[in-house]
Amino acid sequence: MIRSFLLYIDPGSGSYLIQVIIAAVLGAAFFFKNLWWKFRSFFIKPKKKSSEENDPNTP
Amino acid sequence: MIQTRPDGPVWSGYSRDPSGFMFKLNDQYYRQVNQIYAGNYDLLLSSGLYHELSQKKMLIRHEDVSGSVPGTPGYYKTLLPQQLPFISYPYEWSPSQLRDAGLLTLRITRMAMEKGMILKDATPFNVQFLEGRPLFIDTLSFMTYDSSQPWIAYRQFCECFLFPLYLHHYLGTGIHRLLAAWPEGIPAIHAARMLPGRSRLNAGAWMHLFLQTKIRTDNLPGGRRPSFSSGHLQRLLIHLENILQRLSTGNFSDKGWSGYYTDSILSQSYLADKERCFLELIDQLPITSALDLGANDGYFTRLMAQKNIRVVAVDAEWQCMETLYRSLSGQKPGDILPLCVDIADPTPPGGFAGTEREGFTARARAGLVAALALIHHLVLSRNIPLPALAAYFAQLASQYLIIEFVPLSDKKSQELIRNKDSYHSDYNIENFESCFSRYFQIEKRASIGDTGRVLYRMKKSVCP
Repeated sequence: MIRSFLLYIDPGSGSYLIQVIIAAVLGAAFFFKNLWWKFRSFFIKPKKKSSEENDPNTP
Repeated sequence: MIQTRPDGPVWSGYSRDPSGFMFKLNDQYYRQVNQIYAGNYDLLLSSGLYHELSQKKMLIRHEDVSGSVPGTPGYYKTLLPQQLPFISYPYEWSPSQLRDAGLLTLRITRMAMEKGMILKDATPFNVQFLEGRPLFIDTLSFMTYDSSQPWIAYRQFCECFLFPLYLHHYLGTGIHRLLAAWPEGIPAIHAARMLPGRSRLNAGAWMHLFLQTKIRTDNLPGGRRPSFSSGHLQRLLIHLENILQRLSTGNFSDKGWSGYYTDSILSQSYLADKERCFLELIDQLPITSALDLGANDGYFTRLMAQKNIRVVAVDAEWQCMETLYRSLSGQKPGDILPLCVDIADPTPPGGFAGTEREGFTARARAGLVAALALIHHLVLSRNIPLPALAAYFAQLASQYLIIEFVPLSDKKSQELIRNKDSYHSDYNIENFESCFSRYFQIEKRASIGDTGRVLYRMKKSVCP
């Protein structure tokens, strides 16, 4: 189904697949970023931090 | 759109949203919630979302007055929302105002998801500014969240917030003129054509903007729809928030008039003299609201706000309003609302039939109108005749006008008439006083040092 972008459409139309793709890209980026940090921390010992900073829930 | 109740004098209008509508009764604005929205409205309250958002001053407070103000057929509740002193529109905002409104919209969406709700639309018309901060005003924008679905308002958010801010980031144009041209958002295909080539190297712009110009279907081949989760949506919303925070809302190299009083000031003694005269003129005035026309960086706006006057500051230069808006955060601003409005061409009415949104002039009544170092621009540069200017200011001011007359011999005036010196022979102080005396009674005159400029306090004498 092809829609013209210039016609009136409701706010959600056509954006389903875009959001799926962006979410997948962001998910992959997040995964590789984590992998990189794990890889890095394997070779580079992290400095000792306060208990609050070590809290895994801290963003 | 504000409707007049059918039991009032006139019934005009409609509502685009079947969930309810605003109406005005006895000078108060009310919101009717229709039966069709009952489930969502109840969830907004029972989930604690309304309480949390209104406590944090993110969502407008309201009072349920269904008992005393019954609605039209099909109504569920009548709400009396907190009354706002001034309604402004996105095509009057500086870039940071649009960004803050966008961030508020995203944060509310994420908080709503935690309570099982989501925003069904994402337009800056749902946001107003109060005491220097954005406030979400559409109580009927919340709906039950289905975590298997993406955000229905994603495209609208991009078109109304993200694309104008991307355009400003790369081109430095401000956003108000863009949104005046596209009040319901800039389609991706137009935004993509206006952006420079280097924007394609930006991952965020590529994903949220250029990808939208490529993909025009919701389904994969075979009609299959891929799955989606709340985790996906959280990540998307956080990504949008990060982009908005990183986009430049700044002044670029073209400073316009921002810095008039600090950089190109005629002299510091001029500013000191003018401030002293101005404070004398506004002292003890029985007013609560003011319009500062040609407010520049808001130096005099702040002087008025310090006297507990609610000030709407307007300037044609978005850089000035951007600077003023930024200065409001982190300090007690009083109540200052900066708006990018050109007094020679104020915001026209808008929306369907031109009745959904009032123009600037219809909204801009104030007890005091201040027009400092402004009229020489309007008369000499924009060719607006003095009698027309006097009539317009009389329309805006309900009680007082403080106006600065800048003579033709002034250095700044001379710069404006360099190429048209025969045009403005009637621009002189006698004619100025005569034109304004038609609507105002001149109460005080104060010469500003030896500059030849004169500050007037005038009291309105007749209705326009």
